[in-house]
Amino acid sequence: MKLNQLDQERLDGKLGKAMQFAMQTIVTAAHIDQVDSLIDISFAHIDACFYNGRAHLDFVNYMLEHGATLAVPSWTNNGLVALNDLSLRDPHASREMDEARQLMQAYVRLGCNPVWTCAPYQLPDRPKLGAHIVGSESNAVSFYNSVIGARSNKYGDYLDVCAAIIGRVPFSKLHRDEARAAELVFDVSKLPQSVLDNDLFYHLLGHVIGRRSGHRIPAVTGLAASCNEDDLKAISAAGSSSGSVPLFHAVGITPEAATLEIACQGAAVEQVIELEITDLQQARRELGVNSERPLAGIALGTPHFSFSEFERLVDLLGERRVQAGLVCYLTTSRHVYAQAAERGWTDALEVAGMKIITDTCTYFSPAINGLEGKIMTNSAKWAYYAPGMLPVEAVIGSLAECVESAVSGEVRLDQWALS
Amino acid sequence: MGAVVSNAVSSIQARVLIPGRASGEALVLDDTLSFWGGFDPAKGEIIDVHHPQFGQRVGARVLFIPESRGSAGTPGGIAETLRNGTGPHAFVLGERDVNIGVGTLVANRLYNMDVPVLVVTLDQMAQFRSGETIEIDRRGLISVKR
Repeated sequence: MKLNQLDQERLDGKLGKAMQFAMQTIVTAAHIDQVDSLIDISFAHIDACFYNGRAHLDFVNYMLEHGATLAVPSWTNNGLVALNDLSLRDPHASREMDEARQLMQAYVRLGCNPVWTCAPYQLPDRPKLGAHIVGSESNAVSFYNSVIGARSNKYGDYLDVCAAIIGRVPFSKLHRDEARAAELVFDVSKLPQSVLDNDLFYHLLGHVIGRRSGHRIPAVTGLAASCNEDDLKAISAAGSSSGSVPLFHAVGITPEAATLEIACQGAAVEQVIELEITDLQQARRELGVNSERPLAGIALGTPHFSFSEFERLVDLLGERRVQAGLVCYLTTSRHVYAQAAERGWTDALEVAGMKIITDTCTYFSPAINGLEGKIMTNSAKWAYYAPGMLPVEAVIGSLAECVESAVSGEVRLDQWALS
Repeated sequence: MGAVVSNAVSSIQARVLIPGRASGEALVLDDTLSFWGGFDPAKGEIIDVHHPQFGQRVGARVLFIPESRGSAGTPGGIAETLRNGTGPHAFVLGERDVNIGVGTLVANRLYNMDVPVLVVTLDQMAQFRSGETIEIDRRGLISVKR
């Protein structure tokens, strides 16, 4: 292992126990990855602020007590609770929720920028093409790698924090050019334009890519130039829920894929999968079948809603209201919330019967305000995870279908032949 | 690998990711597992309904697992189950898994534990059976009592 003088002093404990612990963790990760050098990072997105037991709190408290500081700008992922609306998951109701609150506050004390979002790439000053960074939350890792062309492995809890403290990571896997080449292709050029124009398509595409890619890096050919960052967010999130896709290339759209040949770095493609409507129909069924039960609610914003999604939602809803008795949650970041509030959209949506939540998400346990029953969502990620963690069943639809369902109070899948 | 006679293997030299000493009864998982969402660290129980070993508890076992899966939360799930005393005595992996390694390293440090993480080939892993009595030394020698 090649260490510079500073890293060696950290490892030897000359800069305190926190630095030593962080450096030991980085060196151990390098040993496991079988690389002998480290590389500087410029940014970290921290997931360890998301409560997963007392050990999380013990870890950050150890770091704080032993004088840890951060070497690079470090932004926080969602927390388990919403710091600005603790009633959603009440700290007075359980030890876990109280520790979840303490955990989030500890990361603020450590020096993190408290953005509390799983979609940090929607905020200004995001990393640039080629920047080495630390991503942790799976959709954000995929978006940073794929859509921005920044370079991150999928860093788990603790290693994300240790990397932010040291400012360096093992020079392994997706930090290296050769690991970023596309190895198989999903071709969507046979699908009708009406499908490519529908936001649900990108969630279903991501689900299929996650299912079929395994450990290979996929490229997608045939996507329309109209494909936007919300669509690419959907692929990122769905592909890292049904599978583990930390990087995909959208040929002609994403920055390392001007052509298929460039995306493959000149190597031959192992496999080309031509997607048909039936593949997408199957993906939709895998993400939930509309049962006879009454619709109980709508969940939007997994990953966090963007400014442009707010704009579309307000446009689709018009002057109409959510059906009485239906719970309708929308999750977003504080930053995007403030942008939407400036336009008057948050007030309008709240008046129309939607509940807008920041800092956290709705798809994991414990259920927000007892969320249960048949829930409609525009998110493949929500539909994939929530039924395993909450007493819910999911139905997935486009944003337009979710709006029509919210207004009518029953599932409306009448907009698209895929249903 | 050819056919393996049931008592032919008495020891296998693994590669050491995290050193430690341990003994316990083997639990061999037939699939990858996410330790966030698919695992309950309070009970040390596999709660992923799709997992072949759904419902099994890992406490005090030598856990053979191909690798972890999915979420960034796996190291936390590992550290928390070890903190709770519901975790395995050792991990034997089929892949060099950073998430399991880091979760174990953190628990060893915070809670003064000595839980080893080793890696073997998938062929070597296929020679172990749940229920066997396993001993692991600090150099990564895995001994089986049958």
